[in-house]
Amino acid sequence: MNALRRLPGPAKLLGSPFAWLFALFSVAVAVWMLLTSLKSTRDIFAAPWALPTDPHWDNYSRAWTASDFGGATVNTLLLTVGTAVATIALAAPAAYALSRILTRWNSGITAFFALGLGIPSQVIVLPLYVMMNQLYLVDSLTGLWILYVATSMPFTVFFLTGFFGSLPKELEEAAALDGATPNRTFWQIMLPLARSGIITAMILNIIQHWGETLFGLIFLQSEENATLSLALLGFLQRMQYNGADWGGLFAGVCTVVLPVLACYVWLGRRIIEGMTLGSVK
Amino acid sequence: MTATAVRQPKATGPAPAAPAERTSPLARRRRRLFWPFVAPALVLYVVFYILPTLATAWISLNTWAGAGPMEFAGIDNYRRLLLDPIFHDSFLNTLTILFVVGGATFALSFLLTIILREMAGRKAVRAIIFFPNIVSGVVLSILWGFLFQAEGVVNQALRAFGVDQPPNWLGTENLFTVIMIGLVWVQTGFFTTILMAAVDRIPKDLYEACDLEGANAWQRFRHVTFPLMWDVVGVCAVLWSISAIKIFEFIYAFAGAAGQLPPTKVWNTALYAYAEAFSSGVPKYGSAAATGMVMLALVGVLVVVLRRLFRRDTVQF
Repeated sequence: MNALRRLPGPAKLLGSPFAWLFALFSVAVAVWMLLTSLKSTRDIFAAPWALPTDPHWDNYSRAWTASDFGGATVNTLLLTVGTAVATIALAAPAAYALSRILTRWNSGITAFFALGLGIPSQVIVLPLYVMMNQLYLVDSLTGLWILYVATSMPFTVFFLTGFFGSLPKELEEAAALDGATPNRTFWQIMLPLARSGIITAMILNIIQHWGETLFGLIFLQSEENATLSLALLGFLQRMQYNGADWGGLFAGVCTVVLPVLACYVWLGRRIIEGMTLGSVK
Repeated sequence: MTATAVRQPKATGPAPAAPAERTSPLARRRRRLFWPFVAPALVLYVVFYILPTLATAWISLNTWAGAGPMEFAGIDNYRRLLLDPIFHDSFLNTLTILFVVGGATFALSFLLTIILREMAGRKAVRAIIFFPNIVSGVVLSILWGFLFQAEGVVNQALRAFGVDQPPNWLGTENLFTVIMIGLVWVQTGFFTTILMAAVDRIPKDLYEACDLEGANAWQRFRHVTFPLMWDVVGVCAVLWSISAIKIFEFIYAFAGAAGQLPPTKVWNTALYAYAEAFSSGVPKYGSAAATGMVMLALVGVLVVVLRRLFRRDTVQF
């Protein structure tokens, strides 16, 4: 590349090692996390960088049974997938209408949804708690599911509105000429066409709720309803009474991180583009 | 971590339809679909987002424990916040995160963007440094805190370099610094990715022109790269402001041995609002709501100021 020819020597010399160091640091943290999850608490402090001499898989079984990361994983899985599906079912038609059916309301409603992106959750959580309490939906996964779906609306509608707007118009016209009703055109032609945008929106939604903490902390109480972040926080708290079980804690940490890491290795480019899309247009 | 520009995608501001299109039978049939499609999402959004925001504005003017009688208090809650030293610390910490962590993150992101532009393996580095962004804040907080334990990896490394008395990182006096460094570590990848995407869009021939004119690296950055990234930097600043004010888990999970919540010295306004409503003896919904309104006002002010600051004629290229 031409651009690099003129970089002053020292900057060029130091630049890329610095970037690699920064990246290597994150890799090191991840590797160390994995190693630690397989060590006894004594080894963790005695030799933080040594390979585990005899892998302590019991860390995992302890975390999964005694601290019920197993149950938390099931809860989180159901909750995140359920949230993503319901969110798309509601947001996709809205986004399609907002980007493709011209009325005098479009730009106003789109901007109105965008407004929600700037409202911090801490602002809405008190009335939501009162409301959910009256509906007996506190400490209920169904209640949290409703909240997750509702609070996903601004971002998902906003994201998909941009996406539907970028699809070619001609197909809709062709479908209309062939006699398809507008309703059918949406479900059978536009929705499949928007598949990649919808999948990206779902992945982002799942990742976001996989580690969600604030709402879980406030709206769930009993241990059998705990999500993964709550199981981790509970584990941290219990360590203060039962003594440090860092191996078990890191087994729990890995339970939270490894699925996300797998997802990232598999779909990384899509995730990065989805999260940064719209910033650069 | 919601992150998309708070600026409308170009496709959504529909141009006024031509009269023929407006009145054709097809257009009319399509328009009948508009409300059935939009209404469910809109109702959910209004009921769970907009109305609660308005309700919080009202609660902030009352004394209320979340149940039972509500007593109108005017601006008393806000006055109490002004007098509460813990709120002062929390507010100051929020501002520190906004400007100090933000400044460091942006400086580092710019630096990495320049370095990565001209480096082999840029995609790999980008993918790695972006990853912490999608990991749960609680996990990051646990990992980060563990690195800085008294016998942890950081201190062992320091000892290896001959530091005999490494600082007590997780003590009250150092904890906020540790938190701030951690936030920079997590956030830098996100903004580097956006800035890199912006740089990639700058046409190569502009740099060729620079080479012909004999510009050095700094001049090239100052006169080509930076002006053409200006809009994106503005968007990043807005995104950062919104997400910085919301930061909660990463600080919350530093509770450590202090019990339910971390020491008040490291609270930000998000933690303060949570503590007022959900972890003190009698829930103080009034002051929690007032704190929420302060956060909302801060977002509003920052977005308006940033948009003014970054508004100028877009350079077309």
